[in-house]
Amino acid sequence: MSAIPSTTRTWCLYAGGLLVTLLPLAVLSGDLFWVNILIYTYLFAGLAVAWNIIGGFGGQFSLGHGVFFAVGAYMTARLYLGWEISPWLGMIPGALLCATIGPLVFWPTFRLKGSFFAIATLAFNEVGLVMANYLHTVTGGPRGLQIPFKAGLGNMIFADQCIWALIMFGFMALCVAITIVLMRSRLGYYLLAVREDEEAAHAAGIDVTRVKLRDTALSAALASIGGSLFAMYIRTIDPPTLFSLADIGVKFALIALIGGIGTIIGPVLGAFLIIPAESYLRAVMGGGLPGLHLVVMGGVMLLAALFMRRGVAGALDALWRRRSRSAS
Amino acid sequence: METLLNVLVVGILLGGIYGLVSIGLNLIFGVIRIVNFAQGELVMLGMYGAFLAYSMLGLDPYVSTLIVMPAMFLFGVIVQRVAIQPLQAESSMQIFATFGLLTVLQNVVLVFTRGEGYSVATKVASFSIAIGEIRITGTHLIILIAVTAISVLLHLFLQRTLMGKSIRAVTQDRQAARLMGINVERTFMVTFDIGSALAGLAGALIAPIYTLSPGIGDNFILAAFAVVVLGGLGSVAGAWAGGMIVGIVEAFAGYYIDPELKQAIWFLIFLLVLVIRPTGLSGQVGAEEVGFREQS
Repeated sequence: MSAIPSTTRTWCLYAGGLLVTLLPLAVLSGDLFWVNILIYTYLFAGLAVAWNIIGGFGGQFSLGHGVFFAVGAYMTARLYLGWEISPWLGMIPGALLCATIGPLVFWPTFRLKGSFFAIATLAFNEVGLVMANYLHTVTGGPRGLQIPFKAGLGNMIFADQCIWALIMFGFMALCVAITIVLMRSRLGYYLLAVREDEEAAHAAGIDVTRVKLRDTALSAALASIGGSLFAMYIRTIDPPTLFSLADIGVKFALIALIGGIGTIIGPVLGAFLIIPAESYLRAVMGGGLPGLHLVVMGGVMLLAALFMRRGVAGALDALWRRRSRSAS
Repeated sequence: METLLNVLVVGILLGGIYGLVSIGLNLIFGVIRIVNFAQGELVMLGMYGAFLAYSMLGLDPYVSTLIVMPAMFLFGVIVQRVAIQPLQAESSMQIFATFGLLTVLQNVVLVFTRGEGYSVATKVASFSIAIGEIRITGTHLIILIAVTAISVLLHLFLQRTLMGKSIRAVTQDRQAARLMGINVERTFMVTFDIGSALAGLAGALIAPIYTLSPGIGDNFILAAFAVVVLGGLGSVAGAWAGGMIVGIVEAFAGYYIDPELKQAIWFLIFLLVLVIRPTGLSGQVGAEEVGFREQS
């Protein structure tokens, strides 16, 4: 383990890194096609960072985060449509609800190891999908919810796409900041200890289950906020979109994997590679043969799993180490 | 009474389908613990294989199993070599690799078919037997017979043959199996290939009752995992029963509770069983960790 970098150094790196991720927006802010892609990039970067808190640092490979995402989306949309509660406030109950149901649902599943946990959380996602279709009064059923366009800061609806890009950027910045604070806190070190060796951590006096539950609550709440923002941005939500495995539930994990699971920068890197590549391929290939861009994306996923187990961040890290070794 | 019986028959027929599409996964996940999310796509390929044999050679889907099964066996060899073997010890990477494979297979088929739905015809479809008010079509009856017959054969294979015994030995303790002179890698490979062939067979047999679409595997994958876990990992008789449980629960929940909730009920049962007894109803307690032993 390397030494803990100083507080100032960490936050300087954080600020510098954020500035770099803002560059593409500054350059492309006139191009609506790319601004839209950037909005999704920032959003999914934040969501992958949120997933990484339990999936990467916690070592609990969740495929059920789509449920938290959907709860946030439905809650915010429903509160806004039904009672005209501003989405800025409407995000909070969803996040609190997820911070409660997340640990409640994951608690019994924590004793499952590896793939069994993943399958259980996958089933959780499918239960969510069925329930969303069934609970018409809340979710609008299969037809979904439509939010009318009524621009205004309080409504969180904007005509200018660049504002959306900045909001999503803020979400990503928040998620990364929370991860940094978490990993420098006592809970963060407990987490790493639990991930590396659960029994040893237990023997050292760490309440393993409590650590995982707190971590789940945090991760679920952030995923819910991401869902709220997503709902207000696209303004049409329905069950197949929110509970899609390929586009939501598994994608958070995929982005984190490609970037590097269990690193702070990894999920952000992953989002900046995957989302623009996918959107671009969809635009270029989608017109000709539907599905062709997904053949490419699936192939990338397969290759990443086979040859880049530690992701881009891991590959860069290995390269860096080799160079510094040959230099010294 | 008549209704109750009717729902039960519907459930049993549905259970036959669920059991059939799960047989391959029972080997691949139940026995060698490969988390194969692309299993539904192997069934889907079997369906399209039957369609190709039907449209190009005019073969009945039941005859085409003679081509589809060996073809899917070979496909299994390739998949296992390329994507599964390098990840033998890493279950979370298997999830990604097989999810990537799922995406590729679904969309390659989508590219080739351009989203058009196909169906496969067979003469058997016009036969049906009636018991009182209840009608059972020939296609469903064949599935029910097939799943039972395959289960019996697979059980005999695992219990009696040398290959079957080495498969079971490898599941229980890789290291000990290796010391006994079993070629562990080859055993894994053959098990995966047989699982793939059985998925292809299932696809060909159910092709006549579905409209073929590239995403059809999604309907089977969670059900297959549920069946395998419910029945008890690797237990052939258990998987047969697991299929029946899922089918009957779905039929009864659909009729007596709400058609929209029919699947949620067995999802929940599945979750409960996973949490309480991850080795399923007839599996050995603690067996879910067997096979993970060498990895830690």
